[in-house]
Amino acid sequence: MHQFGRLCGAALLAGALGFGAAPAEAQAPGVTKDEITIGALGALTGATSFMGGPGRDGLQLGIEQINAAGGINGRKIKLVYEHAFTPAESVAAAKKLVESDKVFALILSSGSTGAAAAANYVRETGVPTYNLFGATPIIRTPFAKNVFHGAMPDAPTSAQALVDRVYQAKPDAKKIGLLVGTYSFPQSNKAAILPILEARGVKPVIEEFDQDSRDFTSQLISMARQRVDAVIVLGSFSEAGFAYKQAPEKGLANAVWVLDGSAVNDAIVPIIGERDPKNVWGYSNMPAFPAQDHPEAVKFRQAWIAKYGTPPQGRPNSYDMVGYGGAFILAKAIEAAGENLTWDGLIGAWSTMKGAKPSDLGGADVIFPETFSETDHQGNRALGRATIKGGLWQTVGQ
Amino acid sequence: MAEFVMVILGGLKFGAVYALAAIGIVVIHKATRTVNFAHGGLVMLGAFATYVLVVDWKWPYWTAYLVVPLLIGALAAGLELSILRPLRRADLFTVVLGTIFLGTALSEAFRLAYNTELLAVPAAISGAPIFIDIGEDAAIVTLEQIWVTGGALAVGLAGLFLFRYSTLGRSMRAMASNIRGAQLCGYSVERVYATAWFTGGALAGLAGVFAAPSRGVSPELAVSIIASAFVAAVIGGFDSLAGALIGGLLLGVVETLSAAYVSSAAKSAISFVLLFLVLLWRPEGLFPEAKRRHV
Amino acid sequence: MSDARRPLAILSPLLAPLALFLWGWAAGDYWRFVLTLVATSTVIGAALTMLVGFARCISLATGAMMGIGAYCSTLLILHAGLPFPVAVVASALAGGVGGLLLAIPAVRFKSHNLAMVTLVFQAVVIILVREMKSVTGGAEGLNVAPPVIFGQTISSDLVYLGMAACFCALALLPISVLLSGPYGRNLRALATNEVAARAFGIRIERYLMAAFTVSSAAIAMAGALAAPRFRIIDPDSFGLHTSIVMLAYPVIGGMTSIWGGILGGGLMRLLPELLRPIADYIELILAAIVILTVMFFRGGLTEIGERLCPRRTAPLAAAPDAPAERATTLPAPRPPSHAHAGDALVATNIVKRYGALAAVDDVTLAIRAGTLHGIMGPNGAGKTTFFNAVTGFIAPDAGRVVLFGQEAKPGRVEDRIALGITRTFQHVAIFPGLTCRDNVIAGLGRNGVRQSFRRSLDRALWSAAARDEHEAASWALAAVGLRSLAETRADQLSLGNQRRLEIARAIVSRPRLILLDEPVSGVSHGEVEQIVTLLRRLNVELGATMLIVEHNIGFLTALCDRISVMASGRIIADGLPAEVVARKEVRQVYFGEIEDAA
Repeated sequence: MHQFGRLCGAALLAGALGFGAAPAEAQAPGVTKDEITIGALGALTGATSFMGGPGRDGLQLGIEQINAAGGINGRKIKLVYEHAFTPAESVAAAKKLVESDKVFALILSSGSTGAAAAANYVRETGVPTYNLFGATPIIRTPFAKNVFHGAMPDAPTSAQALVDRVYQAKPDAKKIGLLVGTYSFPQSNKAAILPILEARGVKPVIEEFDQDSRDFTSQLISMARQRVDAVIVLGSFSEAGFAYKQAPEKGLANAVWVLDGSAVNDAIVPIIGERDPKNVWGYSNMPAFPAQDHPEAVKFRQAWIAKYGTPPQGRPNSYDMVGYGGAFILAKAIEAAGENLTWDGLIGAWSTMKGAKPSDLGGADVIFPETFSETDHQGNRALGRATIKGGLWQTVGQ
Repeated sequence: MAEFVMVILGGLKFGAVYALAAIGIVVIHKATRTVNFAHGGLVMLGAFATYVLVVDWKWPYWTAYLVVPLLIGALAAGLELSILRPLRRADLFTVVLGTIFLGTALSEAFRLAYNTELLAVPAAISGAPIFIDIGEDAAIVTLEQIWVTGGALAVGLAGLFLFRYSTLGRSMRAMASNIRGAQLCGYSVERVYATAWFTGGALAGLAGVFAAPSRGVSPELAVSIIASAFVAAVIGGFDSLAGALIGGLLLGVVETLSAAYVSSAAKSAISFVLLFLVLLWRPEGLFPEAKRRHV
Repeated sequence: MSDARRPLAILSPLLAPLALFLWGWAAGDYWRFVLTLVATSTVIGAALTMLVGFARCISLATGAMMGIGAYCSTLLILHAGLPFPVAVVASALAGGVGGLLLAIPAVRFKSHNLAMVTLVFQAVVIILVREMKSVTGGAEGLNVAPPVIFGQTISSDLVYLGMAACFCALALLPISVLLSGPYGRNLRALATNEVAARAFGIRIERYLMAAFTVSSAAIAMAGALAAPRFRIIDPDSFGLHTSIVMLAYPVIGGMTSIWGGILGGGLMRLLPELLRPIADYIELILAAIVILTVMFFRGGLTEIGERLCPRRTAPLAAAPDAPAERATTLPAPRPPSHAHAGDALVATNIVKRYGALAAVDDVTLAIRAGTLHGIMGPNGAGKTTFFNAVTGFIAPDAGRVVLFGQEAKPGRVEDRIALGITRTFQHVAIFPGLTCRDNVIAGLGRNGVRQSFRRSLDRALWSAAARDEHEAASWALAAVGLRSLAETRADQLSLGNQRRLEIARAIVSRPRLILLDEPVSGVSHGEVEQIVTLLRRLNVELGATMLIVEHNIGFLTALCDRISVMASGRIIADGLPAEVVARKEVRQVYFGEIEDAA
C-alpha cells in the first residue's frame, strides 16, 4: 500500500511537471532559434499507401532542398511523419504531432476518411494545416481559417473537369456511364458529378464496383447494352486499368474513357498493355507528369533519383510531386510570416499569399502557382488536360 | 442471349481460378487435417513469381507454368515444416488461428519487399477475339479467356485424378482417415505431409500464374482469393476435390450473374449469401465426402 | 487462493481501467486519447476471451459488432437525442441482439465453417452500412459529435478517459463474474468435451448463443464508447481487417482467463503507438507475434506471467501423479432422500439397429433399486449401445425405459441429470482445463444457461449457495480420495485418479442411478481393488443404484450384486455373479473354446 501511495505521488508529480513545462518563450510550438518542426500524416500501409508513401518522400525531398539553400529566415525545417489510415489512427497521429511533438504546422498527406477526421480535430486546435490530397467535402466544410488546401482542388472543380474532358473528346456525347467504386473517395466524387450532369440534362448509367475489383464483366456489359458514348471511372488506376482492358471483350469498344485523378498514374499503362491507347483522358493538377519530358519535371525526377535511387514501377508519381511542391508552398508561407513565428502570424501571411511557387525558393515548378485569400483557402484551381502518349501520361493543354 | 452467354463466360474465367485455389485447400485439408487460411498468400506469391519471371527477367510466359508451381510448392512444404510443424498435434482451432496470421504475414512481407500498389502482368495469350453468333447478337470470347478457363480446369481435373488414382493420393487419403493406421501400413507421416503441402502449394502457385494477368499482383490479392476459395471449398463440402471444382465455378458464375442482373454493388454480398444458404441447407456442403460421425 | 479472497479476485480486472486512468492522469492529452482506445480494447479483448478463448468460437465478425455499437449510439444521439450514457447502453443491447442473430445459425457449425458464417455476417453488416447512405453516410463516413453528459460537452481528454474507464469497468465486471463462475467453467467444459458436458446438463447451443450475445454486447459497447474519439466513423474502420487484428487479442494475451483478453487487447492497441518509428512494419510484427505465440507460448501472456511468478496457492505439495490418499468415509451432508423400493430401471424390448445389424436386439432388463448390476460381454456384444439407449445418448428404435416407476421419454441427453441419472465414460471424459473441484461442481447439474448465470453471481458474492457447492464438491472428492488434489488441474492426474474424478463427478449430485461405462479399463491392478471398495461403499452410503458395463470379469464378480451377460445384442444370462460366470454358454461366448481348457 505504501508503495502504491508513493507510485501515485510520483505519477502526480510527473503530471504536474508535464503541465508546468508549457513553453515559457513567446515562440509558437515547434519553433526554436534554428529549427521549425513540421508534422505530417498519411497512410504508409493499406489501400491508400500509394498516396501516403510518395507524399512523405516528396515532402522530405522538398524540405532537404529548402534546408540546403539555407532554410527559412535562418531556421531549418524538420519533418515528423506519422503513419495513419483510419480515423482513429489519424486523430491519434494528429494529436501526437500537435500535443506531444508540438509541431508548428501540420500537413495532411492522405485523402482518406482518416484525413477528414484529423481535419475535424485541427479545426478545434487552430494549428495551421495544409491539406495536400483530400478532395472530399468533409475535409473542407465548414470553412476553417487555419486549414489550407493545395494542388488538389475541391470535388466540384475536379468533377467539372471530368465532365469537360468528356465533351472535349466527344462533343456530341449523349449517354455517359459512371463506373464508381463503393468506397470513400469515389463516392464523394460521384456526389459532386451527378449535379453537373443533371444540369446538362444527362442521365448517367451508374455501375458500381468494390475496392480492388478485377472483374468488370457485368458492369461493362450493362454499359455496352445501353450504348454509352463515354465512361467516367471514379476509382484507382488499377481498377480503371482492368476495366478499360476488359471493355472490348465485353462489347464496349470506341467509348471515350475519362479517368479520375487517382487513376491518372503511369502504372496504369502496363495494366492496359498499350502505349498509345486512344480516347483515354484525365485531368492533371500539375503542369506536367513525373515522367513527362518537361524541363521542371525532369529537374524534379533527377533530384528524386539522386535521393532515393532507381524508382520502382510507377514512381515517382504525382503524389511525390504534390508533396514536393507542397513543402515549398508551406515554406513560402512561413517565410512570409517573418522572424517571430506564431500560428496567427502564419495564418495571416498564408491567407494573403498570391502566386506562390516552388521556384521562389529554388525548387522545381512541378505544381501550379497557388493563391490564397482570407475567405478562399483553395490554393490551386488550374487543371490540365491529360492523356497517355508513348506509355506515359502527358499534359496536353488546359 | 449473347449478353447472358458473355456474363456466364466471364464468371467461369474467375470461377476456374477460385476452383484451382479451392482444390489446393482441399488437398491439404484432406491429407493433413490442416485448414489453411494462408492459401491466399501462396496464390499471391505465385502471381508475384510470375511477374518476376515474365516481366523482370523477360522469360517466355510458358516457363511460369513450370517454374512457379515447383517454387510455391516447395515454399508451402517449407512453411509447413518450419512453422506449422509444432502445430500438428494442436487442435484445429489453434491451427486455424495460426494459418490466418501466417497469411497476413505473407502478404505483409510481400508489401514490404516490393512497395508498390500493383504489379501488372501481360496476358499469356493475345489475339483477336472470337465472335460467336447467337441470335441477332454476337458473344465475344477472347483467347485469353479460353486459355485461363480451360487451363485452370484442366489442371484442376488433373489434380483430381492424381489424388484418386496415384499411390501418393492413396497414402494421403489413408493418412487422413486414420493417421496411426496409415503409419502401421508403412506410410511415412513426414512424406505425406510434405507431399500434401507441396501439391497444395503447387496448385496455389498455378492459380497465381493463371490469375496474374487478369488480377495483377498486390497484397490485396491474397485476401480476395482466400475468401472466394474458401467459400468455394465450403460449398463443395471441404473434403471433396470435385466439390471444390464445382463450388469454384458456381461461385464465379453466381457472382457475375448477380452483379449483372441484381446489383453490382451487392456482388460480394451475394456470394456470401450463397455460402450461407448452402451451409444452412446442407451443412456438409453440396458434395459431402463422408457422413458425419456420431458420438 | 483462499476462499475469502475469491470476490476480490473477481474484481481484479477493474484494476485495468483504473490503472489506465491513473496513467492518463499523469500523461499528456495524446496519451489520454490513446489510453481511452486502449481501455475499449481491453473490453473487446475480455469479450473475445469469452467467445474465442473459453467457447472456442473463431469469430471474424468482431469489427461488425463494434460497428453496430458505434453507428447505433451515434445515430441514436443524432436523431433521437438520447443522452450519451443511455445511447451507449442501448448500443450494447443492439450488439447483444446482433450477436444473438449471428449465433442462431452460427452455433450449428464448428472451426472453419463457423469462421465462415461469422465472415458472412461481417461482410453483410459492412455492405449494409455502406449502401444505406441516407442513414449511415455510406463509405464517406458519419461525423460523431463529442458526447454530452448532464448538459456538459465532454471535450477534455482526461474527463473522457475517466468516463470511458468507468464504462469499461462496468463492462468488465459482468464478464469477469461470468468467466470465473460456473458459466465460464461450463463453457470451457463444453469446448473440451461436448459429450461429457451434455451428460451433465450443459446445453451447448444455448451456452454458445449466450457467449455470442454477451461478448457482442460488450464489443458493441466498446464501439459506442470509442466512436466520438474517432470523430468520423466509416465502414473501413470496422472491416474484416479490424476483426482479424482483434482476433489476436485473446491469442496473444492468453485464452484461459479474462486477464488474457485485457492484456492482449491493451498491448495490441498500444503497440502501434509505441512502434510509430517503424510504422511500416507494424502489421508484419503483429502477425509474427501471433504466429510465435501460437507456436511456442500457446498460453499467451498470462501463462508467461504465471511461469515467471507461480501462485503461492498452487498445491505444490501434491505431486499430480502421486497415488491419492485412501478414500475416507465422510458422513454424507444429507441422508439419501430417495431410498426407493422396487425397480430402479426397467428396460423393455429395447431394439437398436445400425443398418442391417441389430446392435441391441430386443433386450429386456430390470434392475432393482439400490443394487449394483453389471453387464458383461465380448466386444461388439451391444453393451455400450444398450447403455447409451438407457442413458438417452442414442434413441432406441423400439422399446421403452422406465426409471423409478416413470417412463423415460427419449429426449435430450441434457435432461437426464435432472431425473437423477449420471454416468461415467469408457474413455475418460473429464474436463481437462478445469481443476478437480470445478470438474465435480459441473457434475452438480443446475447447468442451464440462466441457472449458470445466477450461480456465477452467487459465486462472485460467495453466497451460501456457492459455499454449499464448494462443500458438496469437497465431500465428493473426499469420498473418492481426491480431497488433497481438489485444486489441481484434472489433466495432471494419473489415469486411475481421473477415473476416480469421474466417479466423484457422477456422485456429487446424489443421483438415484449411476451408469458406469468400463470404469476400470486401463487402470492398474492395485487401483482396481480400490475402485471396487470405493464403489461398494458409495452404493451403501448413497443408496444409489449402479449399472456397470465392463470387460473385467474379476472386477464385476467382486463388485456386483447381479450380472447380465450380453452377446450379439441379446442377453444370454442373468443372475448372481458366481452363478452366471459358471454357466456353460457364458463361458463359451466369453472365453471361446472353453471345453478344451477344462
